[in-house]
Amino acid sequence: MTRLDATRLLVNVVGQASNTPVVASLGHPAYDLFAAGDRAANFYTWGSMGLASSIGLGLAMARPDLRVVILDGDGSLLMNLGSLATIGWTRPENLVLIVWDNEAYATTGGQQTATAHGADLEAAGRALGIRQSATARTEAEFQLLAARAMTEPGPWLIVAKVDESAPAGKPPLDCVLIKHRFMTAIGTQS
Amino acid sequence: MTWASGVCAGFAAAGITHVAYVPDNPLSHVLKVLQTHPKIRTTVATREEEAFGIAAGLYLGGIRSAVMLQSSGLGNSLNALTSLIVPYQIPMLILISMRGDAGEWNSAQVPMGRAVVPILDAMGISHATVQSAETTAATVELVARTAFETRMSGACLLPRRLTAPRVAENANA
Repeated sequence: MTRLDATRLLVNVVGQASNTPVVASLGHPAYDLFAAGDRAANFYTWGSMGLASSIGLGLAMARPDLRVVILDGDGSLLMNLGSLATIGWTRPENLVLIVWDNEAYATTGGQQTATAHGADLEAAGRALGIRQSATARTEAEFQLLAARAMTEPGPWLIVAKVDESAPAGKPPLDCVLIKHRFMTAIGTQS
Repeated sequence: MTWASGVCAGFAAAGITHVAYVPDNPLSHVLKVLQTHPKIRTTVATREEEAFGIAAGLYLGGIRSAVMLQSSGLGNSLNALTSLIVPYQIPMLILISMRGDAGEWNSAQVPMGRAVVPILDAMGISHATVQSAETTAATVELVARTAFETRMSGACLLPRRLTAPRVAENANA
């Protein structure tokens, strides 16, 4: 399963036309989300490595009426592992944290991360209080888990073991435009 | 009104309903008051940068928030501020409990304490220092309202002369 193919599956599960917010970590997760299905309810980060799950947590607490999907990377989550403990403590049922685990810092040239050497992010999530933690190794497994996470109570942590694929697009570079269109799409008054 | 009650009154007056924080000793007084406040939720972050991420998400979802941190934690927050909060124009109140200013007893706190204002200036984040317990609520409210109206986060500094005025007492902090 490549990250781009898995991202296409995810967009299909979320719904291209839905207002379900999707927060994407910087670099390849954001590029692939844009390529797989640009939507106004996508929040693309261009910096703040590690914080996608934290942004998603704040959003999930603010909007319990919406499922909040986060697309993170293994390197990014390892930079902010404490976020799993905070999610495990606050336990928003509507939070769905998906980690594209390619065992590498792909955006910066493919240097290995600790997950290439045994670090298990699913186990970390469970140890830190996220009971709905799971790993998907095939497209069928990912499809099933993503669909469950959109309906069953969370918080969810889905670690998707993916192969690297060349990013196929880039989101707009205007940060304020991204924010404004996102907030409008999910119905937030700014 | 104590300075800590003033902080909470300022939050409430500016419409802040959620506070993400990493605690320190002076901020514990604010947290005690917040525990009794019916409309303000709190979330503990493991690290200051995480608190800024949470606050950004709260804003995207329509909630006005504050981030509370000790000045030492500003250093842990710089990438969140410079690559998320400032360029995306995500407003929040940044409440900084100062260490390393007048009244400090721990030399390890001094370099960062001295750097807080120049760093905020370098990032283009406006800041005001609370001068007294009597003016705390008004200062906090003004900085917060300005942040939300302009969509540019602003910082409110709580100096040690306000939060822990006696050096001898601080040695136990």
